[in-house]
Amino acid sequence: MQFLTDPWDWWLRPFLDNEFMRDALVAGILTVITTSLVGTWVVLRGLSFLGDALAHGVLPGIAIAFIIGVDTSIGALVAAGVMVGGISLIRRHSPLPDDTSIGVLFVGFLALAVVIMSSQQASYTGDLNRFLFGSITGLDSSDLLRQAIAAAIAFVGVTVFYRAFVVMTFDVTLARMLGLRPGLAQAVLLALLAVSIVASFESVGNLLVFAFLIAPPAAATLLAKRVPVIMALSVLLGIVATYVGILLSYHHGSAAGATMALCSVMLFFLVLAVTSIRRRPRRRAANGITEPDQALEVQSAQRP
Amino acid sequence: MRIVLSMMTGMRSSSLATAAVVALVLAACGSDDTAEPAAESPFVVASTSIWADITRNVACGGLAEVDTIVPLGGDPHSFEPSLQDRETMEGADLIVANGLFLEEGLADTIDAVAGRGVPVVYAADAVDVLTGEEGHDDEHEGDGEHSDEEHSDDEHEGDEEHADDEHSDGDDHDHEGGDPHVWFDPNRVIQALPTIADGLADVGVDADALDTCVADYTDRLTQLDSTIDDTVSALPVEQRLLVTNHDSLGYFADRYDFEVVGTVIPSSSSLAEANPADLEALADTIERTGVPAIFTETQHSSADAEALADRVGATIVELRTGTLDEPGTPGGDYIGWLDGTATTVVEALAG
Repeated sequence: MQFLTDPWDWWLRPFLDNEFMRDALVAGILTVITTSLVGTWVVLRGLSFLGDALAHGVLPGIAIAFIIGVDTSIGALVAAGVMVGGISLIRRHSPLPDDTSIGVLFVGFLALAVVIMSSQQASYTGDLNRFLFGSITGLDSSDLLRQAIAAAIAFVGVTVFYRAFVVMTFDVTLARMLGLRPGLAQAVLLALLAVSIVASFESVGNLLVFAFLIAPPAAATLLAKRVPVIMALSVLLGIVATYVGILLSYHHGSAAGATMALCSVMLFFLVLAVTSIRRRPRRRAANGITEPDQALEVQSAQRP
Repeated sequence: MRIVLSMMTGMRSSSLATAAVVALVLAACGSDDTAEPAAESPFVVASTSIWADITRNVACGGLAEVDTIVPLGGDPHSFEPSLQDRETMEGADLIVANGLFLEEGLADTIDAVAGRGVPVVYAADAVDVLTGEEGHDDEHEGDGEHSDEEHSDDEHEGDEEHADDEHSDGDDHDHEGGDPHVWFDPNRVIQALPTIADGLADVGVDADALDTCVADYTDRLTQLDSTIDDTVSALPVEQRLLVTNHDSLGYFADRYDFEVVGTVIPSSSSLAEANPADLEALADTIERTGVPAIFTETQHSSADAEALADRVGATIVELRTGTLDEPGTPGGDYIGWLDGTATTVVEALAG
């Protein structure tokens, strides 16, 4: 109850007193900006499964990079690239739906990572756990820089390709007719997704980052209909989740990255509860006929 | 290591006045982040309960206040710290960690805190490290242990070389291989005592008092070593065969003439899995040698080990490998814990 009885000490003092708390918050906010900008499209275009697959799919790249001693980010980006390439290869050469090709590569990459790690017999090179769960408690300035670069890349990418993303979310044929090159836009979106996952290694980890890619944008789509507003709300919700998560980990000693991820998921359910309560009277007024939610419509929109 | 520590203390003492001024300014800014009075006993944070107990004995009689990060029963490999832990570490005068990538979830945090000027002692830096294969004898066939890597013999012997690097990058301690479970040999813990004592002396603990403590604790650990030697001597050498779930008893085997005839899970990584061919070979080895027990760790999944035990008629014996027992129990301190572990191992193998 200290957060009510002594709000200053609970909500603000930890950040004023400790540089590592400010670092954690900055890293969290930068992560949230990146993931909200990219995650909004992930949610609107129904690419959640691909995001999850990529988060795991980078593992063999990290494992190989670890073993041959190159930068793990490079290994992860290469693995993500190979995975995305593999998915579009399957798409081009088979009538299979996307989630099947994603699923095949997802499990293939995960299995490859396990095989690679198991072949490292009796060596103590450490675990891949640290990449899955990150370490927001142990950030240094290069981590913050990496997050800032990722946020900048996400911002530029989303801004430049905004029209293409919007149009292809609704109608690929139209996008092609308008000369918006949906293939390129798709590739850019996947590249941005890979960047946001890889950049979060050191902060929340590439598994938990998924909470920030999906939950805040999903909550925001419940609250707004215009894409820029969804993005802004998503950033706001994500920052709230990060802020509360960091403070909970600080005051109650819970694992930092996981607490932040949990807060962002809880916030989604909170928004869901609030919006469904608010919506109910409206439904009755419309004689049981609900207005089709644009966000849902967008989600089920045709994929290329 | 030593060089860095002394550099840091040099820096510390010379800038003590500055630090005091800064603390005053900070306090004036509404922060209660006042500097600890240096005269009081320093606050030391150890990564695991085992190193905490050892550090307490190096700083005997309350020369330092020692706290632990990984809770009792927790797995030092996979422990994920909270921001509260970060604050605890940040407030420490000295951090004692194992190193050799034992504290995987903590490594980045330790590096970050070290980068902020908190001295860190890596105990494993001071001991003769086994690099993967040396703990096992050579002549076991097809037991799931094929070394496909070249290991240089004792890359940590000259640990002083690491000292000129900044601590903040931490890479010195992480990447090169080496079995991190050094506390399974009391003699190796004895090797680490002076390093820990140096670290404590550098943060203001009286060096003479530390010397007395180290001498005293060394005696007790030597005593422990010979006690375990006695316990083990009851077991004929041909029965000193260990099958473990993952590689954690290498130092124990190395010191007390055991042979690790096989491990169920081939690597320390939680992503690694046993493969059927190796399991098959291991089952053959167990049947041929008649090893009666398979040792598992409380903190690792042991499904494969249990299936194997069922198949070959061996018993599963669970050990706490990376953490002490609750305080007040016989295994609540390092000496009692290792003594008890050795007895458990010997009794299990005596059948």
